[in-house]
Amino acid sequence: MSILSVRQLHIMGKQNHIVKNLSFDVHEGEWFALVGQSGSGKSMTAMAIGQLLAPNLQAKGEIWYGERNLLALSPSEIRKIRGKRLAYIFQDYQGSFTPFLTIGQHFDEYQKTHLSLSKKARRQQAVKALISVGLKEDIYSRYPFQLSGGQLQRVSISMALLLEPDILIADEPTTALDSVSSFKVLELLSRLQKETGCAVLFITHDLRHVKKYADRIAVMKDGAIMEIGDKDQVLNHPKHAYTNELIQSSPSLRRMPFKLEGVSG
Amino acid sequence: MELVIKKKTKRRWLFMVMATVLAVAAYAFLILKHDPALVNLGERLWPASLEHPLGTDHLGRDVLTRLLLGAQLTVGYGLLSLFAAVIIGVPFGVIAGFKGGLIDRIFMRIADAFLAFPDTIVAIVLSGLLGPGIENLLLAIVLVKWVNYARLVRSTVITERGKDYVTAAKINGLRSFAIMRKHLFPHLIGNVLVLASLDLGKIILLISSLSYIGLGAQPPAPEWGAMLNDARPYFQSHMMLMIYPGLAIVFVVLLSNILGDYLRDAFDVKKEVES
Repeated sequence: MSILSVRQLHIMGKQNHIVKNLSFDVHEGEWFALVGQSGSGKSMTAMAIGQLLAPNLQAKGEIWYGERNLLALSPSEIRKIRGKRLAYIFQDYQGSFTPFLTIGQHFDEYQKTHLSLSKKARRQQAVKALISVGLKEDIYSRYPFQLSGGQLQRVSISMALLLEPDILIADEPTTALDSVSSFKVLELLSRLQKETGCAVLFITHDLRHVKKYADRIAVMKDGAIMEIGDKDQVLNHPKHAYTNELIQSSPSLRRMPFKLEGVSG
Repeated sequence: MELVIKKKTKRRWLFMVMATVLAVAAYAFLILKHDPALVNLGERLWPASLEHPLGTDHLGRDVLTRLLLGAQLTVGYGLLSLFAAVIIGVPFGVIAGFKGGLIDRIFMRIADAFLAFPDTIVAIVLSGLLGPGIENLLLAIVLVKWVNYARLVRSTVITERGKDYVTAAKINGLRSFAIMRKHLFPHLIGNVLVLASLDLGKIILLISSLSYIGLGAQPPAPEWGAMLNDARPYFQSHMMLMIYPGLAIVFVVLLSNILGDYLRDAFDVKKEVES
């Protein structure tokens, strides 16, 4: 049962064609990984899903969420879905938070927009969410710059999952973290996904992040999908030469003596 | 610890001096016993005495009275024009920066036209065209100064709007206006206040210099620049007449600069938490 269907998506800039004829499905409750080098159009695709593209970029095609085509929704209709049913986590953990607002104020604003809770209930809910991602209560009154990258990404996750969305779009959430923090964040994400049953659209350039958690993988290159399939199939029996190159260039996934031939870009 | 105390004392001093100047400017009429415009040629160019602590000028008017009322005029006009410039400039900048595209281009070409000429020249030309007088001078200053605020705010908004937290606010379901108000505007207050307090000095200088050359406040208004001009012919025999208003200008401009530096530090949230 697919929860999000992207059909013939094109994203056009003024001069360049960034995403070309992209189609894929994200199934309910699965971990879907979109893998590709930087510049392959992964993030643009993620932004297009929530109508978040910069005004100079244009998305054509269809993105179905249930009965609705997200690309055709009016600003007020998409506002009801974004944040509530469709949540995001970004790579730049420091930039994801307004620098002069505390973590609590971030929660508050989010809750006020989508829920009608008393001040006390809002705080309780937020603190509960913080504790569920392994943070302490005092984080609530801290400013973003007082927290480490790993902590901030945990806060992002707790906030994104607060309203139990159907889809969580994670745009390279671990790329800017060190390997231990990123491992912890991935473990956390995977645990919470199982608990809440939301689908994760996980965007990354690193196959290592995908190896353990993803159910299905799509490999993207130059704005088009090269290969799509179950994790084992893609990783162990890549059909496309580019997928093979990606696997070869990932040190811990290397199976054969190191042989790097013409990895472009 | 020592540093904290020092900083606190510095702050207390700064605010005390600032408050004194503003209080003097606002309530000068309560403590004065002379008419600032009353000409008394029998008492002209008197030296300092108990009756006239700073002496009298070339028309026999009490210098202290005129100096204190001048604070009201000069600082008051400065604040007024500054306020108007900020009120016009900030919304222009926020909208231009956030919306981008055609709106931005139109706004900024208008701003460029003003920026292409030095402040003083534009102010002189405008108040020359509109005719001498303090109202026209203030209008000229507002027209010259709002551009700086629009530019400053626009550049801040442009750097900030690309960051993920603006996208995050959008994802949260906030409308453009709410994002500007809640997530971008607080960024600007600090910058704008710092620029404004530094600008206050420049504006006071501008008002005084234009009054000095006869384009601003008209006699008998006790504006400091105009007082300097009045005292010019007597510079060699009675130089204190020029030094008093000169010192007053220096003092206020200096104060506005110190205040600007202080505000810049004060609006740094990071510094506040670290100390």
